[in-house]
Amino acid sequence: MLRYALQTLRARKGGFAGAFLALFCAAALVTACGILLETGLRGTVATERYAGAPVIVGGDQNVHQVTARRKGDRTKRKEKAKPLGERVLLPAGTAARLAALPGVRAALPEITFPAYAVTPGGRIVPGVDGKPSYGHAWTSAPLTPFVLTEGAAPAGADEVVVDRELARRAGLRPGAELTVQSTDAPRTYRVTGVAAPSGGDLRQQSSLFFSDAEAERLSGRTGLVAAVGVLPEPGVPVPELAARVGKALDGTGAQVVTGGDRGPVEFLDAAKARIKLVSMGGAIGGTSLLVAVLVVVGTFALSIQQRHRELALLRAVAATPRQVRRLIGREALIVGLLAGVLGSLAGLPVAHWLHGRFVAFRAIPETLGVTVGVFPFFGAVGAALLGAWAAARISARRAARIRPAEALAEAAVEQRTAAWGRVGAGAAFLAGGAVLLVVLSSLRSEPAATPVTFLSVVVLAVAVSLLGPLIVRGAVALLGIPLRASRVGGHLATANARAHTKRLSAAVTPLALLIGMACTVFFVPTTTGAAATAQARAGSTADWVVGSAGPGVPSQAADRLRRVPGVSAVTEVVRTTVRVGLAKYPAQGVSADGLTRTWDPGVTAGGLDGFDPQSVALSELAADDLGKKPGDRLKLTLGDGAEAELTVAAVYERGLGFGDLTMSHELVRGHVDNPLASSVLVKTAGEGRPGRAELQQALGGLPGVAVLDRDQVEDLRAEVQQSNAEVNYVAMGLIIAFTAIAVVNTLAMSVSDRAREFALLQLVGTTRRQVMGMLRIEAALVVLVAAALGTAIAFAVLTAFSIGMTGSASPSVDGRMYAGVLCFASLLAFLATLVPGRLALAGRPADVIGSRR
Amino acid sequence: MRTETNDLRGHSGAGFPAFALRLDGVVKEYGRAGRAVRALDGVSVGIERGSFTAVMGPSGSGKSTFLHCAAGLDKPSGGSVFLGDTDLGAMDETRLTELRRGRIGFVFQAFNLIPALSVRQNVELPLRLAGERLDPAWLDEVLARVGLAGRAAHRPAELSGGQQQRVAIARALITRPDVVFGDEPTGALDTMTAREILSLLRSCVDETGRTVVMVTHDPVAASYADTVLFLADGRIADRMQAPTADRVADRMTHLGAWA
Repeated sequence: MLRYALQTLRARKGGFAGAFLALFCAAALVTACGILLETGLRGTVATERYAGAPVIVGGDQNVHQVTARRKGDRTKRKEKAKPLGERVLLPAGTAARLAALPGVRAALPEITFPAYAVTPGGRIVPGVDGKPSYGHAWTSAPLTPFVLTEGAAPAGADEVVVDRELARRAGLRPGAELTVQSTDAPRTYRVTGVAAPSGGDLRQQSSLFFSDAEAERLSGRTGLVAAVGVLPEPGVPVPELAARVGKALDGTGAQVVTGGDRGPVEFLDAAKARIKLVSMGGAIGGTSLLVAVLVVVGTFALSIQQRHRELALLRAVAATPRQVRRLIGREALIVGLLAGVLGSLAGLPVAHWLHGRFVAFRAIPETLGVTVGVFPFFGAVGAALLGAWAAARISARRAARIRPAEALAEAAVEQRTAAWGRVGAGAAFLAGGAVLLVVLSSLRSEPAATPVTFLSVVVLAVAVSLLGPLIVRGAVALLGIPLRASRVGGHLATANARAHTKRLSAAVTPLALLIGMACTVFFVPTTTGAAATAQARAGSTADWVVGSAGPGVPSQAADRLRRVPGVSAVTEVVRTTVRVGLAKYPAQGVSADGLTRTWDPGVTAGGLDGFDPQSVALSELAADDLGKKPGDRLKLTLGDGAEAELTVAAVYERGLGFGDLTMSHELVRGHVDNPLASSVLVKTAGEGRPGRAELQQALGGLPGVAVLDRDQVEDLRAEVQQSNAEVNYVAMGLIIAFTAIAVVNTLAMSVSDRAREFALLQLVGTTRRQVMGMLRIEAALVVLVAAALGTAIAFAVLTAFSIGMTGSASPSVDGRMYAGVLCFASLLAFLATLVPGRLALAGRPADVIGSRR
Repeated sequence: MRTETNDLRGHSGAGFPAFALRLDGVVKEYGRAGRAVRALDGVSVGIERGSFTAVMGPSGSGKSTFLHCAAGLDKPSGGSVFLGDTDLGAMDETRLTELRRGRIGFVFQAFNLIPALSVRQNVELPLRLAGERLDPAWLDEVLARVGLAGRAAHRPAELSGGQQQRVAIARALITRPDVVFGDEPTGALDTMTAREILSLLRSCVDETGRTVVMVTHDPVAASYADTVLFLADGRIADRMQAPTADRVADRMTHLGAWA
């Protein structure tokens, strides 16, 4: 059987090329996603700043919750940990405790805070390569280790040492004056020296070193340090040292890390990036696998339809239904194996490319390097085999039902009886899709909704593929009426469509999937974006917004603005995330004074009057989740791990634009890495109220701080959304490209098989033009039906998504983008129909008819 | 004709060794009840071992259905079909397939061969799918008999129409079947080639004692047979021994007039 399968494959390469291509692409995508997944799970983040300290002690970056579940007479304890959004600090005394341990040469406390150099012109100098710029205490320089290449260490409060790369870029030399924008008002220092790491300039950050006292002042967190680096005495092995340090700190929750584990302590965003990689890798990989099965089932079914006569002959002469099933299964497995192996190799460059794009879009840090193991490759080969096997099983069912007597029939006639099993399966998938949509409409966070969104699209597309013949029959009956206007082409096309509903629906399915998937990918971000923008616009009642081109707006800006006559309220906003139990919520801290004048979140219960550091306001979503109402007490963990118990003051409806929890600026600013305000809202009132120029003047020499009007703020917000969406576009773009290949594949396959039919049409007097006209109308029919189905799928999914995410059924669709998707789909369909059609018409009709197949 | 039927009834029962194939009151209806079309309307006939029988009739007379039912490709709606002693009615599709590949040979009008397989592989196909051991000497003998020695490695596309029919005959003979069925085996061939194929079938009967049943509409083809059965409206209308082309054509004209 294997030999026959191999031989059939060799002889019918064309027929299997479609399935091969689909499986190849799927294997490549699965490998690429597998590599991303593995990178997310096991990838190492190289440390940069702590390269010189073999043992690093950091705070416990997780919230823990122990759930005890009784199972029979045993209690099962399960500890769950979730990462926090800001850095968890250590008491400064930790360093002194560790320094006393035997074998410790030095235990150096690390203080980190944003610190940016400012040019004499008042422009903020970004970190190396657009990355952040941090300030540290000079004491911690050996952690990298940074050593002076020029000048001296900072001793006084007004002295600073800059790293070599920054010095070169900003043209700084010892003795120069340098203004630094850190967490406080900008201040001018004297550059006393230039330092460089012994291992070459850092590539992820710029560094400024201050005297210890000044660094502590700037960090704003007296008595706390970000980490402690432990340097061993010569000859003390690192594991032993780490064990000793761990023992000394037992019970404090501090984490002791060495080697490759130091990276995540330095780069907190790496943990987020890992989660993103895992979820994105899973979503793309899973979706492409499902799409592959759908597409491969289609191409296999088509190739079996084309081999109808051969299979009938096999059945008549010798083969039992089981043997036919096995033959098709073997063929599929060979194709799957070949495509899987080659595809998984092709996946490696795809993974690197994807990683490169993600880094370029700042979705993941450059430090999180690609990790390549064997699992993605085996996984991809397995996936290709599984896909091929599933496709073969499904299409072989049909093949085994071929009646042997059909071998004797003159022409292969498509069976017209509706297969009730197929209709039943289609109805089941439709019901499954409906259930998914209901689930989707109750999902309120993006990470939860995204995979369900794409799963819904695929499940609905499967329903369409199963119910395709029925749908196409209906569509042809409907569209056939206007098509009668074209006497030759239209007449032939409708006749063909009516007689070959299965063939037509095989072409419609991938195209509908393409349109549905593309619309969903493009309009999910616009839907959330439009809702967030609308809520933010409705909720923001400020006249002006002060923003910063640097790390943020210092509190001096707000103080100065408050003193401007005619300014009625100034609200500083900081953003963070908090956890209630293990659940994460985006949150904001806002100045309580005059809050109701700059911010109208649509309070539905309670009120914002008298909002103080002990108050919290919740979005309706959070209030629902947590079951809280005004007056209740809410226990939560702030971004840096600090616990707080606050009183719920109000519940508001516009959570999307502002965050689900709102606390006072005073409380939040002490628990974030960057205490600078991300924006300051300004409300003016009365006659002769200040305009933009007056406000800007009041801000005076604050570097990088500018007054923006509301439109500019919205543009800025749109830009941020755009960069988030880009990552999705790239990832899902691959799936769209894959579906496009499948579309071309299926259409070309079904057209090139019709050479004999075209020859016959020509022999009875149809001109080439008329045959091409017929094909054009058929392609138009396919596009119309697919567009209707794809749009319906996308609309249903987007509506459900919109209900879940924004609370209202209002998918936001960009008309031009939608038109673009339809144009692209039509272009594909027409090219894939007309080019093979033209080729099939190339031979002399008499030769084509005469030739044996 | 009536005598024929009564005759058969007299000898009915299992184990009537003279007949290689026996149809007993076979009825075949297509379509749903109410609008059913009766393609075979109570056909009873016995085909003797070692005979060459041609089945003729105008279009729509039921000759294809006769072949399908007799060869186990299709199940009759009523009556029974015996291949030797075996009742085909009691078999499921898998056992029917096994019966076909072991005890029945087929030669169709066209599309007889799997294009991907060589001549040898096409001929071996029934044995291979049955999982039986191949006897190379027997394969060579069969190929030599149909005049294809030395062409075993060719693909069907490299052969002429007549040669392809020879491959089909070789495949039909490879299992030493009880009955070889032909469905217009010369329908797509020119006169000269057709004659060669018919002689080949004749020699299978004369030299190796095979039983051949062939559906045809060509009086010349029918003249190679020992017996011609005429079908009309799903019934056996007549039977002719030692036919000649002229007598068959004459009879067909009459049948055509009734149809």
